Amino acid sequence: MLTYALVAGVLFGLYFSLVGIGLNLVFGVMRIVNLAHGDIIMLGGFIALGVVTLASVDPLFAVPLAFVVFVLAGLALYYVLVPRLQGASNPEMLSIILFFGLSQVIEAITTIFAGTSERSIQSRLLGTVFTTIRVKWFGGKPGPGGPIHILGQGFPAPWVIAAATSLVAIGLVYVYLYRTRLGTLTRAVMSRRDEALATGIDVDRVSAAAFGIGLGLAAMAGVFAPFMFGSITPAFGADATVTSFAIVVLGSLGNPLGTALGGIVYGVCYMLVQTYLSSWADLLPYVLLILILLLRPSGLLGRRVRVA
Amino acid sequence: MPADLQPLLQASAIDAAYGTMQVLWGVDLDVRPGETVLLLGANGAGKTTFLKSLVGLIAARRGHIRLGGADITAMRSSDRMRRGMTYMSELAVFPDLSIEENIRIGAQALGHADAGARLDEMYRLFPVLRDKRRNPASSLSGGQRKMLGIAKALAAEPRLLVMDEPSAGLSPLFVKEVIRIIRGLQERGIALLVAEQNIGFLEVATRVFVLEGGRIRFSGTVAEMSDNEALRRAYFGLT
Repeated sequence: MLTYALVAGVLFGLYFSLVGIGLNLVFGVMRIVNLAHGDIIMLGGFIALGVVTLASVDPLFAVPLAFVVFVLAGLALYYVLVPRLQGASNPEMLSIILFFGLSQVIEAITTIFAGTSERSIQSRLLGTVFTTIRVKWFGGKPGPGGPIHILGQGFPAPWVIAAATSLVAIGLVYVYLYRTRLGTLTRAVMSRRDEALATGIDVDRVSAAAFGIGLGLAAMAGVFAPFMFGSITPAFGADATVTSFAIVVLGSLGNPLGTALGGIVYGVCYMLVQTYLSSWADLLPYVLLILILLLRPSGLLGRRVRVA
Repeated sequence: MPADLQPLLQASAIDAAYGTMQVLWGVDLDVRPGETVLLLGANGAGKTTFLKSLVGLIAARRGHIRLGGADITAMRSSDRMRRGMTYMSELAVFPDLSIEENIRIGAQALGHADAGARLDEMYRLFPVLRDKRRNPASSLSGGQRKMLGIAKALAAEPRLLVMDEPSAGLSPLFVKEVIRIIRGLQERGIALLVAEQNIGFLEVATRVFVLEGGRIRFSGTVAEMSDNEALRRAYFGLT
């Protein structure tokens, strides 16, 4: 049982890393907490629902779709909202109010169109593209893949697919930040925003890219939410924001790759609590937030906390 | 006026403020090609505010700034810097990035395609940085950070380098090193505007502007400054 909980914890942990990494990227570059982050995750879940319902294809196709749609939406939103924030006398406080309002609007509009009932997707639908490839190219037998075995324990295939996709996404974020020109400029802005401006970096362009990618990653994570949590509702976003915030603070606020560590620690704690003290599971993000703020406010990676 | 005497940078009647608190009143300053202008003033005189208004980090409330004859008053800072003016702030570097990344950013931020060539050039100028190129900038000593800050600013091949208190936080030995570096920049024909409160920098200055309480109190050559009794008392401690 412990082995199962630990392996499942790592699988969920990788997924939670993807859930939080976009929030941390946006915070690191723009010094604002996107309180609508969870709502973008929720919308990613509804994109997966839409792909299955309308196109009857593997919900994995929703991953690139959700990413592209929300990168573009993020860019548009950035250029609509940020000039107003920059013109304000207290941009940090205004950003909190603004993104809280945005969160409420997204939830209300989604409720109007989707209702309040819980929506789920049959877990066997995720990854059917792999079954098709196996049958057509390698002559395998059609039929459901069943659980995937790791260390002698069987795990639902969607958990493994979500974890693998998250790992790839985190790897790509690493490549973006450390191997591309825009990524290096992004890290420069995260390191010292004032110095970035003084160096002549186009901080607006870097911030817009980070905001778009942050939203795209959140929407990608959302595609897997119906499989990882069983179902989603329009109200799912508020809880997802709190969870994301706990993961980010746990890893290190302002350091996106610290979120990978925060996610795994959170995931293992989550599965251990689910396994041994399931009635306490809902308290986990709040308890972890309080503990980390009391014991190690700079997060597990010990990066200096920035003042928002 | 001969072309080489036409100001490279001309700031006219600059007013600047933080919210309702006005810091600068009608500041005039010019820098000619290849010369080194020292902006001298005590803490709180408005030196940093003036430099920030020059490079576009804060907006001038009044007045005009021209660079190479073009009015840049309303330009974004990144556009001003693309026109050949780079700024070395007091912070100077990105501490979380490697030394090599800092220099590359200096070139790339302003659109230099061949950052590699600029990097080699900076390593030739500052060999100590090459030895530590993979280390984070935060691992450098105060003097080496200033050196890296200068390399980062120079990587963009500026016509004018604006330096904010390059001696801040440095021991006298490192201040001498910074002055030696400035002499090297002068030999390369780069125009320099150096804001300082350390009068040791007078030895490299072509002209001096003294800023007090947000207003220019004096402008002239070093010799003219030393002839001014009040300034001599204030800055040289002489009677």
